[in-house]
Amino acid sequence: MTRSPSTFQSETHAATTRRPTAADEGRGVRFDGVQVVYPTSDGSIEAIREVSGAISDGRFVSLIGPSGCGKSTLLDVVGGLRRPAAGTVAINGEAVSGPRRDTAMVFQEDSTLHWRTVLSNVAFGLEIAGVPKKERETRAREIINLVGLSGFEDRHPRELSGGMKQRVAIARALLLDPRILLMDEPFGALDQQTRMFIGRELLRVWDETRKSVLFVTHDIQEAIYLSDEVWIMTARPAVIKAIVPVDLDRPRLPEIMSSPRFHELSTQVWELLRVESEKALNIRGELP
Amino acid sequence: MSTTAARSRARAWPAVAQVGLVAGGAGLLEFLTQSGYISPMVLPPPTEIVGKLGEIVPSNVFLDDLGSTAITVFSAFAIGAIIGLLIGIAFWKLPFVGAVFEPYLVSMYSMPALVFYPILLALLGLSKAPIVVIAASMALIPIALNTMVALRAIKSTLPKLGTSLNCTRRQIYWKILAPAATPLVVPGLVLGFIYAMIGTIAMEFILASNGIGFRIGYYYRSFDVVDMYAYILVASIIAIIVNVALNRLERRIRRDMQ
Repeated sequence: MTRSPSTFQSETHAATTRRPTAADEGRGVRFDGVQVVYPTSDGSIEAIREVSGAISDGRFVSLIGPSGCGKSTLLDVVGGLRRPAAGTVAINGEAVSGPRRDTAMVFQEDSTLHWRTVLSNVAFGLEIAGVPKKERETRAREIINLVGLSGFEDRHPRELSGGMKQRVAIARALLLDPRILLMDEPFGALDQQTRMFIGRELLRVWDETRKSVLFVTHDIQEAIYLSDEVWIMTARPAVIKAIVPVDLDRPRLPEIMSSPRFHELSTQVWELLRVESEKALNIRGELP
Repeated sequence: MSTTAARSRARAWPAVAQVGLVAGGAGLLEFLTQSGYISPMVLPPPTEIVGKLGEIVPSNVFLDDLGSTAITVFSAFAIGAIIGLLIGIAFWKLPFVGAVFEPYLVSMYSMPALVFYPILLALLGLSKAPIVVIAASMALIPIALNTMVALRAIKSTLPKLGTSLNCTRRQIYWKILAPAATPLVVPGLVLGFIYAMIGTIAMEFILASNGIGFRIGYYYRSFDVVDMYAYILVASIIAIIVNVALNRLERRIRRDMQ
């Protein structure tokens, strides 16, 4: 774990940035020597060599790395969709062995069920969990309100923009009241303006719900703007190369992106990432 | 003049033209037949055919024929739909089977299934069975192919979502895959129904003792031209009505499910 030598963390920063406390010990997500291997037709590919670390309760952690490095794979492991070849992921001290009720996922692609209304989409997770219709719809309406979609309850996804569809997916995940929200490049398919806007909305919602978040992204600015920590992964086979703590005040407004500290952090993350991106491009033969 | 009025008029013009074409065509034929340019053995005057229609439609012979054809079409469609859906699901679920058999199915598309009737006649005897078999085998092809394409087109995110929400297999099938595939499966079913209808009427022509197709052939062979044309007209009108109804149904399902 590296920390920037140029950190000028003031008292106010320390007061407003969540730090793990003694009560958090054992809570949250722990990675213990996680290794992931993909079988392919000609042998196997080691996607992730070794990931160890912890996300303590209520932290927002971004996972950034060159494309194809296994970020989404790691997310799938936490979500119980993929078993590691070695090592374990534990949530609140319990090893993950399959999809759990206390994790919820948001995907990059549109995952709304287009034959259902917004209300019924948001309530879908609870429907599967067997919550009675009346109760799940009442709760869904609250979350729809929280993500700023009230008035759209009876619309179908085809009537919504890409950003709104992702809010539906976020609302569906939040309604499950998970301990940890796993977001796999949720804004990757959106245009830059929508991305900024929905990022701000996500922070507002996160401030109200205080979930742990593991957020996969390609975008350095997005990672820094949203997170408490940015984890930088190496090219395949991936390890965590560095963890950059983000000591920016919360609540954060998009204006913070033009602050000097934001620039410093971006540069720091980019420096760490650049080498890995070059390596990844070399592996794929895209660089001479 | 408001723009909506202009727009609805713009939309009305093609319909006016379409009605005009039918009326004009009928008028022309009426003139050609009445004036003797067309022999009544080739085509009787349209007014005579339409007049005959009023006699035929309430008659027992017609209602029996209609009932018989309907039963054959629906049984052929039901069999074709079940087999077609199963084949489509199998081709999707078992990619190897799909890769091996898909070309056969596609080439069956162009095969005139009717030519197999002598074989089926020998196997199944002179009954409704050969008709049902041929109509069903015509119906199942678009159903199977559309089902396969529909299932293959589902983005992997949706079943992944289901797994992450702890769905059972059954829930993934019924709450995610089936509704996700429906908008593309339905056009296959519509096409299948129309094929079942075409197959049934064509087969009745050559191998039946009742039914709409049989009746057309019967009047044809007995030189009863007016009745033959009246039946042809009825068959065409029924086919058009069925087609319009199915297309409406399809559009509604696609709208609600997509």
